[in-house]
Amino acid sequence: MRSIVSLIGLVAVVSGCGAPNAEFRRYTTFAHKVAESAGLEKGFTRDQLQGVDEVMLAMFGSPDEPAFPAIEGIEAGKILNVSHLKLAAGPMGSDEHGNPRGLYREHCAHCHGITGDGVGPTAAFLNPYPRDYRKGQFKFKSTPVGQKPTHADLKKIVLEGVPGTAMPSFKLLPDLEVEALVEYVKYLAIRGEVERGLLDLSTNLEDKARLISVLPTNADDQAKSAQQEQVAAVKDVVKTVAEKWDGAAANITPIPQRQNLTGAELAASIKHGRELFYGSIANCVKCHGDSALGDGQTTDYDEWAKEFINDGKNRDVVRRYVSLGLLPPRTIRPRNLRQGIYRGGLRPIDLYWRIMNGIEGTPMPALAANVRKPEDPPEAKKLNAEEIWDLVNYVQSLPYEPINNANDAYREAHEAMPERPL
Amino acid sequence: MGRFWSLLFLLVPILGVGTFVWAMAGWWPMHGHWLPENINAHGGVIDSLFMFILVLTGVIFIATTLAMFWFMWRYDGGANRDPVAFTHGSHTLEVVWSILPAATLVFIAIYQMNAWADHKMRRPKLPSGEMKPPLAEVMGRQFEWRIRYAGEDGIVGTSDDVQLVNDLHLPLNEEIVLAIKSADVLHSFFLPNLRVKQDVVPGMKQYVWFQPTKEGVYDIVCAELCGWGHYKMRGRVTIESREKFNTWLSQRAIEQNQAGYTPEPVESE
Repeated sequence: MRSIVSLIGLVAVVSGCGAPNAEFRRYTTFAHKVAESAGLEKGFTRDQLQGVDEVMLAMFGSPDEPAFPAIEGIEAGKILNVSHLKLAAGPMGSDEHGNPRGLYREHCAHCHGITGDGVGPTAAFLNPYPRDYRKGQFKFKSTPVGQKPTHADLKKIVLEGVPGTAMPSFKLLPDLEVEALVEYVKYLAIRGEVERGLLDLSTNLEDKARLISVLPTNADDQAKSAQQEQVAAVKDVVKTVAEKWDGAAANITPIPQRQNLTGAELAASIKHGRELFYGSIANCVKCHGDSALGDGQTTDYDEWAKEFINDGKNRDVVRRYVSLGLLPPRTIRPRNLRQGIYRGGLRPIDLYWRIMNGIEGTPMPALAANVRKPEDPPEAKKLNAEEIWDLVNYVQSLPYEPINNANDAYREAHEAMPERPL
Repeated sequence: MGRFWSLLFLLVPILGVGTFVWAMAGWWPMHGHWLPENINAHGGVIDSLFMFILVLTGVIFIATTLAMFWFMWRYDGGANRDPVAFTHGSHTLEVVWSILPAATLVFIAIYQMNAWADHKMRRPKLPSGEMKPPLAEVMGRQFEWRIRYAGEDGIVGTSDDVQLVNDLHLPLNEEIVLAIKSADVLHSFFLPNLRVKQDVVPGMKQYVWFQPTKEGVYDIVCAELCGWGHYKMRGRVTIESREKFNTWLSQRAIEQNQAGYTPEPVESE
């Protein structure tokens, strides 16, 4: 008995002390998807995957030593502050000057994962699941769908948290540390999206080929120029991703000032907003439900799951991706608008942006396409920008509006059918 | 050898008392380990109750450990040649050592009743005699404190509430009433400097009240293990003058009601 205990103790001492070096995890789900859609029967070969890993390591470094590739024509400093990455990277602790190190692993990695893949150790227990940054998509931002969030958008989420989810506020951290975390999230997002691009690129490779060939010392000019082309193709992928982040701040959707309404005017605006809510153009009722309780449409998934499992009906596909590291997909619920909990912020401008731009990666559509532009013909069935404010006013009134008022309901029914006695 | 063990036991009262004295004096390295500064006008009662019970238990602690030391010293097997004596026990002694602690506990229970009532039952009233409404509602949530100020209408839960997270501001020298709730699990709303600690129970709305007497920035912590992130469930309470507080709160209300956005011109190169 005693020998067993000491043996266990010995094993614990030998194996437990000194955690292995942290490594970025391979994007297995996406690799499977692109290989399948490219018709590669056995998926990527080991060489092809190692080729991607090598290029990723060379460009972006490791979780302990992050790097950012130099891109022609783009000032790296405009996308992210590389020197800040040091504070967030590496194991938790501080350097010889007392500056913090490893902030990402201290505050974020247990949910969002070392790789930013949203599958940290605690992720499976949370609902909704933590964000997977690697898709490069973020929900709560001031820019339209397809555009990157601004630095300020990401910082607001870190500072304020996301009410209604497990994301807490990090308001009490010093500003420098919050900045470092935001930069690191951008770094992981760019890194992940580049990995997707490189996997896409790898589908054209021969079985034994690598993304960038390893040349013998006596390689001829033809081989060298072929390698140059490979390098250029990789750089192209990085540039495409980086450019989108570079221009984020220029794409913020401007918001016309809301008129300061009170009393009867406000009531009229709310009433009109209500009509729009149930109307055919905005059609909020379709998903948010007849009573705005978020119970209209409840069987859809978000893009992070949908890109792999489509409508989730094929259980084999779901099972395959879950075995590859996707968390068991859950349907996405439209927001219950009567709780007064707004994940992306409760300022009127936050609600305006959500309605106007939609929520990226979710079934919430952008109303922007149905908002009148100067060139539209007057008979087009479109909303005015002002009417978005009516919708916002209605949404803001919902948490404080009694969900059923027998008198109002009776009066409405009477208006619809006046022959009934009141 | 026996003398060694008895001397070792003597170290228990010496080190035990020494640690407390050292911490109270604030000597290195125990600086800041004694009670944090009390900034609640009603906090003195809590502190004196604490000190009273500390002294009471301290005296008993010293007496017990010294008695144990004396027995070990006096009846050490190596030095003691007395024959073993058997006693059937003492009825009187047993009655005494049962009644004394019982009486002490009953005394403490009665002695603190007023303090308990002041802090947990006698909520401050308005001049009209009504219960003073809470200035704000604090909602514990894994792992943050969500704060909701009543706004201009003085009622929490209406559309003019000012909502914040982890950043509580309170006016100086006023009776503050806060409503405390939980969104998920058990938490405990703890303001060490204000001598306020209240378990936060899901489904219950509880009130705490106190009167801050000193400006400054202090901690809000969670004092009930509430999950893996319990240790980082911290907030900040800022005590400031009424004027500063009003300015701060109206500024937050303006930020919260921002209803227009003109992008700053992006510098063209």
